[in-house]
Amino acid sequence: MSRVLIGAMAVTLATMTAFAQGTGDQNLQIHGFATQALVYSSNNNYLGMDTSSGSTAWTEAAINVNDQVTSKLRAGVQLHYTRLGAFGGDNISVDWAQGDFKLNRWIGLRAGKVKIRWGLYNDTQDYDPGYLWSLLPESIYGIDVRSTNLSQLGAEVYGKVPIGQKLGKLGYSLYYGDYFYASDDGSVANFSEQGLTFVNLPGGKTPGFDLRWETPVRGLKVGGSLMTYDAKGNLTNGTYVQPLAYWPTYYAQYEGNKFFASGQFMKLVQYQTVTLTGTAPSASGSESQAWFAMGGYHLTEKLQAGAYYTRFWEGAGANLSDPATYFHDWVASSRFDINSNFYAKLEGHYIDGNGTGYYGFNNPNGLKPKTGLLVGKVGFTF
Amino acid sequence: MKKSLSIFLISTAASAFAVHAQAQVVVIANNNVRDTSASKADIRDVFMGASSNLKSGSRVLPILLKGGPAHVEFLVLFIGRSDAGFQSSWKSQVFSGQCSMPRTADSEKAMVEYVETTPGAIGYVLKTTPHDGVKTLTVQ
Repeated sequence: MSRVLIGAMAVTLATMTAFAQGTGDQNLQIHGFATQALVYSSNNNYLGMDTSSGSTAWTEAAINVNDQVTSKLRAGVQLHYTRLGAFGGDNISVDWAQGDFKLNRWIGLRAGKVKIRWGLYNDTQDYDPGYLWSLLPESIYGIDVRSTNLSQLGAEVYGKVPIGQKLGKLGYSLYYGDYFYASDDGSVANFSEQGLTFVNLPGGKTPGFDLRWETPVRGLKVGGSLMTYDAKGNLTNGTYVQPLAYWPTYYAQYEGNKFFASGQFMKLVQYQTVTLTGTAPSASGSESQAWFAMGGYHLTEKLQAGAYYTRFWEGAGANLSDPATYFHDWVASSRFDINSNFYAKLEGHYIDGNGTGYYGFNNPNGLKPKTGLLVGKVGFTF
Repeated sequence: MKKSLSIFLISTAASAFAVHAQAQVVVIANNNVRDTSASKADIRDVFMGASSNLKSGSRVLPILLKGGPAHVEFLVLFIGRSDAGFQSSWKSQVFSGQCSMPRTADSEKAMVEYVETTPGAIGYVLKTTPHDGVKTLTVQ
């Protein structure tokens, strides 16, 4: 079924390409991309795929249509297909669908299903052609759980304010809306492995903001974001309530002509109360932290190489000698742009710990503390 | 050894000067754009989608060439990225819902015509391409 779907998507992409090239009205634009990966790991299966025997079960594609209706009003929609082992599957999701009214450079309003600006890469993390990396740091941008917090159903006020020629610019984003846990990603698997089965998936409100300072040093920006969210859901045998979770992050990025470097730190504090029919409410909480540092360089016009290191750890009382409570990942990556439309990537990981990205359903004999991982990927974008 | 080093330094400086002296691309704008000059940084910001205004506050709409020598030289002089990197940077913004891709022109002639007739339009052509009906911005 999924192969038929991918075939249909490829035909659609090709048709869209022809249309995009042929249209004279450039206010209406159609763009898209498709990627296919081959992933092989030692010791453990990773990210819901059977990677220890080599897996091709990671395919992504998206189509983006947007129309500059007037000089200030833009409308658009983006459909996304992700198959990541046991996650995603044949569902095509609406990545975002919004109206965007930009009054002037200082203020604009987006409404509908709107991408959430959080940290350096939350709103762009599902656009693979935009990155040197095949996998962004799993400790912060977990690809297996990303669907839930990519966008919200509500509104965003955004803009960029000059703060003096010598001080640069301040970009901001304030948002408020509803969200629901994605039905087919790792969050559901995590719930399931806790023994929680939902009648309807939990959801709630997600207010938050992002502030980023484009410093007077060309290419250097620093910023911070706070995403908050609560959730309620009905279990087959009770109720699930999650009070407001706090997810602050701080980041910096430098982009030069050939060189880029960035770093980000985040902390996630969340609690949940599960009430099973006929029993007293059971409350639990978790606090985790993570960071990464990365850098990349254009060796030639077509070839980039880079590396990053990331750490994740459970806080407050966790036994950090237990590999289940931490995740350290050394990564080296390269990307070759065949032309403006086609590219290929090759990436190696050395992972210590199982704190994130691993599941019991495809590691039935338990997890070993260390994993080696190799990812090859080809992609097409227009 | 000293002589070799001197020759190397002189030839490097000469090459750098030659590259600068060979700059044949000019930035053009519609006559309603108030600015007569812009910094290289301003031009980069506008063509990378980081800003939609020049110093005077004039709102500008960048237009890109699909390819050719003017496009290649513009990317080298003002953007500092390959065409693939440049496109990728724009598309990251497009796929996150932040903006549309800038309009593109098939030829320098088409670019000049568009810039001439579209308020706020800003583009680039080779110096030798006729561009009488538009304003040429001095880039500092």
